[in-house]
Amino acid sequence: MNDTAKSTRITTVPRYGDQTADKFYLPAIYAGIKVTLGHFVRNFRDITAMETLEYPEEQPTDITPRYRGLHRLTHREDGSIRCVACFMCATACPAGCINIVATERTDGIDEKMPEIFAIDTLECVFCGMCVEACPCDAIRMDTGIFSVTGQAREDFVLDRDRLLSHTGAFETEQTRNKEASHD
Amino acid sequence: MSTPSVTITVDGAPIEVNPERMLLPELLDKGFSIPHFCYQESLGSDGNCRMCMVEIAGKKRPQIACDTPIVTGMEIRTRGESIEKVRRDILELELINHPVDCPICDQAGECSLQDYYMEYGLYQGKVDKKEKHPFDKHIDLGANVMHDQERCVLCQRCVRFCRDVTHTDELCVAGRGDRSYITTVPGEKLHNNYAMNIVDLCPVGALTSKDFRFQQRVWFLATSPSVCHGCAKGCAIDIDHAKSKYHDDTIYRFRPRKNPEINGEFICDAGRLSYKETQTNLLKTCHIRKETLPEAEALDRWRAILTEDEYPIVVLADANLYTEELAALQAFARTLHARLYAPLEAYHDPAFGDDWLKSPQRAANSEGVKRLGIATEMPTINDNTLVINVNHPDGHRTANRIDLLTHQPDEDTGRVPARLTLPIAPWVQSSGHLINEDGIKQYCEQVLRRNDPIPTLIERLKQVTDEEYDKHFDNRETAS
Repeated sequence: MNDTAKSTRITTVPRYGDQTADKFYLPAIYAGIKVTLGHFVRNFRDITAMETLEYPEEQPTDITPRYRGLHRLTHREDGSIRCVACFMCATACPAGCINIVATERTDGIDEKMPEIFAIDTLECVFCGMCVEACPCDAIRMDTGIFSVTGQAREDFVLDRDRLLSHTGAFETEQTRNKEASHD
Repeated sequence: MSTPSVTITVDGAPIEVNPERMLLPELLDKGFSIPHFCYQESLGSDGNCRMCMVEIAGKKRPQIACDTPIVTGMEIRTRGESIEKVRRDILELELINHPVDCPICDQAGECSLQDYYMEYGLYQGKVDKKEKHPFDKHIDLGANVMHDQERCVLCQRCVRFCRDVTHTDELCVAGRGDRSYITTVPGEKLHNNYAMNIVDLCPVGALTSKDFRFQQRVWFLATSPSVCHGCAKGCAIDIDHAKSKYHDDTIYRFRPRKNPEINGEFICDAGRLSYKETQTNLLKTCHIRKETLPEAEALDRWRAILTEDEYPIVVLADANLYTEELAALQAFARTLHARLYAPLEAYHDPAFGDDWLKSPQRAANSEGVKRLGIATEMPTINDNTLVINVNHPDGHRTANRIDLLTHQPDEDTGRVPARLTLPIAPWVQSSGHLINEDGIKQYCEQVLRRNDPIPTLIERLKQVTDEEYDKHFDNRETAS
């Protein structure tokens, strides 16, 4: 009754492959098992050569200078904040995760600076548009920091001081040139 | 009387123009885009910026359109390689000492220099930043105006405004040649009541408002047309506000909106800064006497007082309310068999008035009150009279009173706490018409849409006059 009703819905799938061996399937399955078995034997002989990272005990070693890690706000030569609160990063940000409140800068170095500069890393998509947009090289993503942890949502909103405390993890062309000119 | 017209040819197409005006205003009105700094509609042309060059057939060199009279049959070219080269060269001259600090300049996004560079400039700068002649930056000119001499293009719109419009002559051009700069006359600061208009007039970021400076980038702002509520003049304004993920809908500035019938292109400084009053110190909670109580309980109380009490009722209306709100109050008073008054005496402020845009009548809709036939004298109020005070500045004399207020009441003025105080939305969170003292009707749209909206007056009145509650009032005697 029901079985016959169901059986009418059975469709017959044509066998793939032109060769008899292809149509038989098993040779291809054996070929696959051979690869798996090869890896198994190789890893069994030398367990340290495995492509698996025992994170977090083991940390990645392949973070390159182009890797977009956690943001940082850079400093001027005198150590003060470089950012002039122009909102270019906030304008370019597709996630709208940058909250800036600008204020007058009174130390004579520049006219304007951020009073609040906060990045909500839960909303950030790490696209790097803010770094592209910045006319002052004030924001970078070269910290090499790839994980943010916290207990509450607020812990993931990085404020100005936290962003300023991050340091660059790589020797960039600029820092290399600067060091060279000092020598 | 029809305006005379002649035919001229612009970019190969014949157009009809008024020969009594100069070439530039006619071309701008006809929709041609011609860069200009010193010409301004209200101030006229000065001919100093040389930016509005056009080619005129038969003339050897390009001419400035702002100072060229229209002649029948003249042939003009506003586009083409040679005229665009002229513009680019003049722009390059203007930008020699310009700091190009657009990221920290508040004008960025509404700057003529920036726009023209993108449209006609786009050349590679030949002057290095170190070679630029430094001028003084952030100079306080007084009256909330900050001046940056480096960014100035010396179009002198500000100087002409102080000379020709306010006749106060505080500003002048000092120095000579490329070392010229705008400054106040020695020993003087800007001291006229319309000084902040020069911030709007300035085509570049040389004059910025101390109040708006660094508060918000202009490209985040949304603009809503509205009307200033500062006095009965009812100047047309544009309200710039922004709502973002991190900041609720906030007004950042008032700017004059062109209305030739009322304010031309200007507003007074007091009106311009009155945006602060629309969003500070707002009343958000309900009160009985001085105790706060939840909205739902306050609503029950609001209904209970109106349906149970047998007092004669007097409604005192604020003369700043929109005409629609006043009409709703009239209907409300009829339902309650109450008397409605909008005493205008409290709004009279002779010290505020002047002979231009400031009216001594501070109520924005005093004319609307009169046209609706609402009584404008202060009624005599007995102790047994229930007063429903709708935001009237003088409505807090008696204790037997319900307050509908937009702002936190000022406790210092010996104010008697009301039996019930309910918040209503300030005018920027509501919409309606205003009729100014000259009888001109203007519409104000709702500007702010806050995440924490406050009920408007009309919504408040509906809370007690829907059908269920209307029947309570049917048998009441008309209060005398």
